[in-house]
Amino acid sequence: MTDDRLWVEKYRPKYVSEIIGNEEAKTTFVNWLEKGKKRKKKAVLLYGPAGVGKTALMNAASNQFGFTIIEMNASDARTEKAINKVGKPATSYAALDQFSAETKGNILFLDEVDGVFGQQDRGGIGAIVKIVKESLVPVVMAANDTDLKKLRPLKKVCLLIRFQPIRIPLIITMLRRICLKENIEAEFEALERIACNSQGDVRSAINDLQSAAAGKKVLRVHDTLFLKSRNKDVGIYEVLKGVFSAESVREAAALINQSRVDYDEFLLSVSDNLPFRYSDPIELAIAYDIVSRADVFRGRVGTENWRLLKYFFNLLAESVTVSPKSFKPFEIIFPPIRIMTLFWTKPKRAKLESICAKIALKCHISRATAKNDMLPFIKTIMEKEKSTPILTWLKLESDEVEYLTNMKKL
Amino acid sequence: MINNENVMWVEKYRPKYLNQIVDLRHVVESLEAFLRNPNTMPHLLFAGIPGTGKTTAALCIAHELFGDQWKNFTLELNASDERGINTVRDRIKDFSRYGRAGFGKAPFSLIILDESDQMTGPAQTALRRIMETSSRTSRFILICNYSSKIIEPIQSRCATFRFSKLDNKAMVKHIQDIAQKEKLSISEDVAEKIVEYSDGDLRYAINALQTAAAYSGGKIDVKTVSKVVGEASPKQVQIMLVNALNGNFIEARKMMYDLIGQYGFSGSEIVRQMQRELMKLSLLSDYQKAELTNIIGEYDYRLTQGANDDVQLSALLAQFSRFSRSDRGKIVD
Repeated sequence: MTDDRLWVEKYRPKYVSEIIGNEEAKTTFVNWLEKGKKRKKKAVLLYGPAGVGKTALMNAASNQFGFTIIEMNASDARTEKAINKVGKPATSYAALDQFSAETKGNILFLDEVDGVFGQQDRGGIGAIVKIVKESLVPVVMAANDTDLKKLRPLKKVCLLIRFQPIRIPLIITMLRRICLKENIEAEFEALERIACNSQGDVRSAINDLQSAAAGKKVLRVHDTLFLKSRNKDVGIYEVLKGVFSAESVREAAALINQSRVDYDEFLLSVSDNLPFRYSDPIELAIAYDIVSRADVFRGRVGTENWRLLKYFFNLLAESVTVSPKSFKPFEIIFPPIRIMTLFWTKPKRAKLESICAKIALKCHISRATAKNDMLPFIKTIMEKEKSTPILTWLKLESDEVEYLTNMKKL
Repeated sequence: MINNENVMWVEKYRPKYLNQIVDLRHVVESLEAFLRNPNTMPHLLFAGIPGTGKTTAALCIAHELFGDQWKNFTLELNASDERGINTVRDRIKDFSRYGRAGFGKAPFSLIILDESDQMTGPAQTALRRIMETSSRTSRFILICNYSSKIIEPIQSRCATFRFSKLDNKAMVKHIQDIAQKEKLSISEDVAEKIVEYSDGDLRYAINALQTAAAYSGGKIDVKTVSKVVGEASPKQVQIMLVNALNGNFIEARKMMYDLIGQYGFSGSEIVRQMQRELMKLSLLSDYQKAELTNIIGEYDYRLTQGANDDVQLSALLAQFSRFSRSDRGKIVD
């Protein structure tokens, strides 16, 4: 019988040991569970980015240690009233089960509690604290928010356990295991690309693997090229299309503001497409000047000055509407040229770097100086004397020599 | 065996002892004085434009202090290659851990840190701490292009030596010496031509000589020199520049991505080369060059403020493409 479940379901960890990464968090959590009545704190908050194994840990642990989970998804029921409605009965009558022998008892599991944090007007966080205090069974909560400031009020009543994104090599190893079980022969680069793209999110990595490899015998890098940064670029292509055909700055700005595209990817894409949008060099130069200033604001925004983001958005909107009247439909380029270029040229760059490192070592100079000042002469000599003794003197490997021979002169 | 012998002439003819150094009398004399009693040698700071013998002088000191054993007692680091102050710190720590606290007449080991002006302010502050903690067992030679980029506290701990542009006559003689040792025939005016191209950079001059030698059958003439110098000068940036100035923006941008992707250049490196190539372009008037320089400068600044090199570079190229369309930008052929 074929098993056509989602792979994230199929390969869901059944035991704590099957969960990859976050060793410290796992140990802390299991210790807390095993302490039973001697627990210092009745509740635990597992927090960290999506797809790193918070819910998986909860499920695996309860399976392994024989707890029954009473689950409640907090983001479905955000108000205090709603939380009480589901949470309260669960926490009280669930205690009765402790008399039965098969189960070690119940655990109340509140997933995605951060949906409640910001909503103080609805009494969200207060409600959670209340539930924890009144509950007769242990409470486990999970949150995607990593902002400690918001989590602080919970610290009094619960143990905070932090989850980190999973390291890429661990994800690759896991993807490999899945491929083995699915009888798929996968190129390392393909798995690497999926893993890197996931940014430490195991769930999305497995999903991507399934969409790239399902039904195939062999998985090549080529099959993974459709991947872009997950979630972030939902509809970036559509947004690009929309802003370039916008009839006013306001329209474009509104579109950008509403979309939740990845800022950098969007900026790069706008920059990439400008020359196809403006055929007049003067308009093009004006548009690029504005994009360049948008990029400067992107630099200023950095990772903290988010309030400057509006200038970045508005400048981008202005850059695409320099002359709304001259708009003619054109083929939008996406993904960004730079990302594709850097991806495809990586091996070449690496080879050039290693050649320059060898020159640098021999000639007591930096790799940059080797590339700029020595390499052009060596290359010129090679044009006259194909296998000059310089190459053996530099201890170049045969593939490096071949690379140098075929390299376009700088 | 060929492997053990230096094949690149810049290495083959790199002086081993201070008295073989070309020109720089005053620097050499002071350094020799230190070496007579190595105990008195302070940390040193060598500043000067490329190819004037800073690294050579540092290596000579290593030779004079430790003889053939110099490699065991000298740590050579290049600040522009090491990824950050932490790598530098670790390498220095590892080096001093082996207790190589001197040999022969030197009661210390030597740490040569090349291109030290590439380090950021905070990194230099950290370097200063490292210099303090390891000064009992090591002496530092810091090498840089501009001593003004080195923070005051480091400068005040070093004896600073300025390596000025080499004297043309001394360079011509050195080039002729090498040619003679390599059994090449080269007239004085050809040697002068090489020196003229080199602009005071001896490494460049020697490389040009060696390349010219490969292209000639023993007798080097002016024509060969011009040919190899032309062949060896980077052209991609120049072609990109001319493409942009001709309004061929798309092609220019493609070349920019080549420079970033295939050759691994950073935005600031490309801008620096654009400025250099711009000054060489003969199809522009001085006034036009001044205007374009202004534009390059503006985008170089934005590069330091912005987040994406290629966006800034694309924008810069677009300004160049517009320039040729403006009245001021009429290109005279």
